[in-house]
Amino acid sequence: MDGAQVLDAAEPLATTTFTAARRGRRYWRGNLQGSEYAWAVAFVMPYAAVFLAFVVYPVIYGVWLGRSPALYEELASEPIYVRTVVNTVLYVVIGVNVKMFGALLLSGFFMRRGWWVKALLLIFVLPWAIPALPSFMSIHWMLNGQWGLLNNILWTLFGIDGPGWLETSRWLALGSVITSHIWKWMPFWTVILMAGRMAIPQELYEAADIDGATRLQRFNYVTFPLVANLYLVCTLLSTIFTLGDFNSVYFVSGGGPALSTHVLATLGIRNAFEVARPDLGVATVLSALPLMIPLVILLMRKLRTTEVQL
Amino acid sequence: MKKLSRRSALRGSFSVAATATIARPFLAHAAATTVSVWWPQGFVREEDVGFRAVVEGYEKASGNKVDFTLIPFAPLMQKIVGALTTGDVPDVLSHDTAPVTVIPQNAWNDKLVDLSDVVETQRSQYHPTALLASQYYNNATKKRRAYFAPFKTSVSPFHVWNSLVEKAGYKLSDAPKTWDAFWDFFKPMQKKLRDKGMRGVYALGLQPTTTGPADGNALFHYFLVAYGGNGIITPDGKPHLDDPQVKEAVIKALAFISTAYKEGYVPPGALSWNDADDNNAFHAKQMVMYLDGTISAEVALYHKKEEYADMVTLGLPLDNAGKQIPAQLGVQGPFIPKGAKNIEVAKEFIKYLIQPQVSNEYLKTGLGRWLPAMPDLVKTDPFWLDPKDQHVAAYAREGQLDPTVPTYPVFNPGYAEANAQQIWGTAEADVIREGLTPEAAADKALKRIGAILAKYPIEQS
Repeated sequence: MDGAQVLDAAEPLATTTFTAARRGRRYWRGNLQGSEYAWAVAFVMPYAAVFLAFVVYPVIYGVWLGRSPALYEELASEPIYVRTVVNTVLYVVIGVNVKMFGALLLSGFFMRRGWWVKALLLIFVLPWAIPALPSFMSIHWMLNGQWGLLNNILWTLFGIDGPGWLETSRWLALGSVITSHIWKWMPFWTVILMAGRMAIPQELYEAADIDGATRLQRFNYVTFPLVANLYLVCTLLSTIFTLGDFNSVYFVSGGGPALSTHVLATLGIRNAFEVARPDLGVATVLSALPLMIPLVILLMRKLRTTEVQL
Repeated sequence: MKKLSRRSALRGSFSVAATATIARPFLAHAAATTVSVWWPQGFVREEDVGFRAVVEGYEKASGNKVDFTLIPFAPLMQKIVGALTTGDVPDVLSHDTAPVTVIPQNAWNDKLVDLSDVVETQRSQYHPTALLASQYYNNATKKRRAYFAPFKTSVSPFHVWNSLVEKAGYKLSDAPKTWDAFWDFFKPMQKKLRDKGMRGVYALGLQPTTTGPADGNALFHYFLVAYGGNGIITPDGKPHLDDPQVKEAVIKALAFISTAYKEGYVPPGALSWNDADDNNAFHAKQMVMYLDGTISAEVALYHKKEEYADMVTLGLPLDNAGKQIPAQLGVQGPFIPKGAKNIEVAKEFIKYLIQPQVSNEYLKTGLGRWLPAMPDLVKTDPFWLDPKDQHVAAYAREGQLDPTVPTYPVFNPGYAEANAQQIWGTAEADVIREGLTPEAAADKALKRIGAILAKYPIEQS
């Protein structure tokens, strides 16, 4: 092969490399020209730095802390962990579904006209509007078996010595925690579902009325199909939030009585700071990932759905 | 106005970065005489005043600066655990529960600075139990060394509402002098008080709790020692969980506490009490008496003279055989984590703090809620044994003049983990809620403790 042939052979290769480089640059630069690209990078940098420092680093550090399989063996060997997983499942399944179904029904009620409905809505959203900590601490005190408001009312009105709501029975305490969670968060999801209902074109209801649809049929064939996707997305979101919820359990029952109402979030904190084993605490929380990751994937897939499915 | 170009923006950023880099050595130099301290916020305001006075005194004497942060009990522990985990630590740390929580395990893992030279400066003054309680086993060096410098101590006395005792028709002076009989003395008062309209009153403020962090464990251990089970861990760090005497004491302790609860002499909420809840319940006069560490219950009402005078503080009765029961002496003090930037200045500050006159003034300003770690101070300063303040006098006598023993995490760090797991509270709950016999609950708890201690084999002490 002489020199000219070598040059001829090298030419297409250089052209291909050049084209690939240009394509790569266009991929990164989009339609930005000249200094626009540098400015764009400059504007993105602070966010990227914050994201790296406060999201990526803590997540990687957390996974690194909880990386040892021995931690999970240790967790599984503890009776409190098994009970905590059961509590977490009950808390999430009952708490989320009762809350969301109640929110769906109440969103219909609050769509009615009338000033008193609006006034009632204002009162209804108050639990969500006030900070979580004082409200859960108030519930904790209200449910105190000896001097709490609830048992004092029972005694004053009916002469009944009420039970120790948070003090003796796991199920009463867990029930109190779930009820508190529902009380706190149902207003928020009700408002979200009301927004979904408001987006339904009025003409569909008018058409249903002309066809002689009853109230139940209007709900079954118009409202529910149109808010179903929103309902599902909200349920998934709420499940993810509730899995990581710490406040309701910590401030209402404190994980008691006798450590019987812990959920993974509170047990993780307990292991990290009370038992002074941060690695075990992180492992406790990470053990929720097998449930959390499919939920996030499902949520992402649902969020990609752009069409209404009637 | 000059237009901001990309080049000028980059130039500016570079200048800021370069200035910061060049200036850093000067900042570091300035920090050489500053010691950073995380300190527990006092239970009463006076404790913080006392600490500020110590800081002021040290700054004046040394010319150094103390950059301190007073942090409440629970968040401080979270910060300490976080700091020790990440290595981003201040120079001096202190927490009232650290000697039985984070210090044993971090000493074992060689994460703390050896303070033997600091402790040595006051060796002759220290209470023998306090000195022993500062020595922890380091698994890297295979040696015991001082990993904190004691300057305050505490024991658990009894706290009693005298007005409730009298309202029930009894006299405190008639209380029996032995352990079981002493507790039982208060039980009939519950019915008498309820008959007089006090619906929610209970006789005993026992803490069979799993919430903790400290009170449930402390209560159980006082019962354990009273029943002769103090040998559960010996000073060489070896557990004696199969010792029949220890096992019998564990069973008796579980039986007494759980039976009193099941018979209704204890507020039902005690099963989930945290360390503040028992104090609150006592202040609300939900119970006639309870056993609890320090005299915080009394000190909290120091400015309400009538209530302060109505409470009675009592030391420990004799055991059931008529012998004196040693109190478990809680010993507290600051420690230095490895990775601290100014270890020498930190040590100087601690040396200043543990001087008898300095620590004594600090503790007195804090209304005597904590006792000194030096018995001579109690004997020579009239503040501690003044009969005019019955609370401080009874407490000081129990903690510094009567016999004491250290807490078990000092001997073996595994016991700190066992305490944190609230194994004794869980055993009590097993009897109360799950219907286990005290024998079965004792077996379960001892087995669990054995499994934890097996992770901490002590080769030499």
